[in-house]
Amino acid sequence: MPYFDEVLVAVVLTAIALIALVVLRPSLTAARGGKILAFLAFLVLPILATAMGLSAHIEHSKTTEFCLSCHVMEPYGRSLHVDDAAWLPAQHFQNNRIPRDHACFTCHTNYTMFGDAKAKLRGLRHVYVYYLAGVPEKIQLYEPYNNRECLHCHAGARSFEESDLHKEMRADLGSNTTSCLECHDAVHNVGELKGKPLWKESKP
Amino acid sequence: MTDADPRLVRRLRLAGLLVSLGLLIEAATLFWQHPTAFLVFLLLGGSLVALGVLLYLLSIATYASPRPAASSEPPRGG
Repeated sequence: MPYFDEVLVAVVLTAIALIALVVLRPSLTAARGGKILAFLAFLVLPILATAMGLSAHIEHSKTTEFCLSCHVMEPYGRSLHVDDAAWLPAQHFQNNRIPRDHACFTCHTNYTMFGDAKAKLRGLRHVYVYYLAGVPEKIQLYEPYNNRECLHCHAGARSFEESDLHKEMRADLGSNTTSCLECHDAVHNVGELKGKPLWKESKP
Repeated sequence: MTDADPRLVRRLRLAGLLVSLGLLIEAATLFWQHPTAFLVFLLLGGSLVALGVLLYLLSIATYASPRPAASSEPPRGG
């Protein structure tokens, strides 16, 4: 929703202004209107602002900027800019096959702080690991990459469905028996980033 | 509450302070794109707002409004 954050800030400022009014002139609450004003200022608006804030944070968490804000994710972000068409994430990112500002979330829908309940707990654990326990040397997915993430765009696409190779293994791909990454294996490969030429994004 | 009960006013002030502080923290976290911002929003901002709201509810629930003074007029009729 456009201007969501601005609306939220306006709600916060209104709540604070009304709270100040009630606190500085408590005699206002003697009248029925004053009581309603206090109820709005102390209860309705703060709860509304908190709910809107939660929603805004959930939206922010889907952005590429959010994912790459953790230092350990930096090489993964760089892998999106590798100037090599064989690199799957780079190819998707650079050719707008996924929205650039939501790149991570588009392909890792089950792997964010705000996915299902399990993913949320993992997200909190990541914060703990990041700040307190120490980040492991090798970062890897908790479970094998699910073909569902590829098929929610590619299933039904002509170039995908009409490829002879895909036709042969279509059932296996659909049931996750064969991973898409078995053939398309140049994924983030952060270990091989050194020396790779990077594509420079030009702003229109 | 024309002559506001000082205890109620004190509680309202504290509730107002907690809610305002919580809301300001919540609003500030919106301009910070980092997982920690969410934690600060929820654990610090959310807790302060919740405390303030609870204190407000407690203060109005326990506030005894003064009873109107008994009338000195004799009952009519009879």
